[in-house]
Amino acid sequence: MRTLLTEIQAIDQHVQGSAAPGDKLLFDAKLLLDAELPQKVQWHKQTLALVNQYGRKNLRGVISDVHNQLFTQPEHQSFRQKILRLFS
Amino acid sequence: MPVNNTPTETEQLIMRLYQSAFPAVARYVSKMGGSFDDARDVFQDALVVYYEKAAAGTLELQKSEQAYLLGVAKYLWFKKFKDGKYDTSIDEFEGLDLPDEAEPQPMADKLMHYLETAGQRCMQLLSAFYYDKLPMKKIAVLFGYAGERSVTVQKYKCLEKVRETIKQNALQYEDFID
Repeated sequence: MRTLLTEIQAIDQHVQGSAAPGDKLLFDAKLLLDAELPQKVQWHKQTLALVNQYGRKNLRGVISDVHNQLFTQPEHQSFRQKILRLFS
Repeated sequence: MPVNNTPTETEQLIMRLYQSAFPAVARYVSKMGGSFDDARDVFQDALVVYYEKAAAGTLELQKSEQAYLLGVAKYLWFKKFKDGKYDTSIDEFEGLDLPDEAEPQPMADKLMHYLETAGQRCMQLLSAFYYDKLPMKKIAVLFGYAGERSVTVQKYKCLEKVRETIKQNALQYEDFID
């Protein structure tokens, strides 16, 4: 793997807390020595935040689709009536 | 009870949970004087809590999944009742150990929109790994890669790509998060 990808892998393992003890020590040392590394860790955290935001948004889309199916499609009529009766 | 589903399996799971657990939640919300829309909102938030905990492998079901969803929905309803309005972030849900990085960043909408369009495949692959926490083998099959090694390389390439996009947007992004 290219050096850059190896670095991203190391940053990812650091952020996820999944680095082996030896790698962790090495990374902690690099954090002190490489002035740019802490910033890269921050970029990585923002990347993962966006990925999780994207994942949650997709999940909400699936949930909303299922809701619409249940409350519009003919085969779910009895379910729909059971629910709507509670609010009538 | 881990989830770790493909999109099709997720839809099937949500359909099953909706049919089995929504009636009890709707009954509760109705009894408490809430509307159909209130019931839908608390239930859908409860589903997100359920899914994220299940994907992370931290879901502990005392009784059934129906009882769990009803419990979360009651908690969310209680918060609504207490605050007088339903704007509770599910991140506040007690016992929900969402990682810090899942904190919503509503101001990053522009960046998100760009990534959804220009980098959709990477975002799908990364969210399968980090959000849905699918095993590499399953991701390889789902995205048509030869094996786990190819997916791993692709994952890091995608991380690099998204990170570079965020960097390029850095100035605007700093404006966003202020």
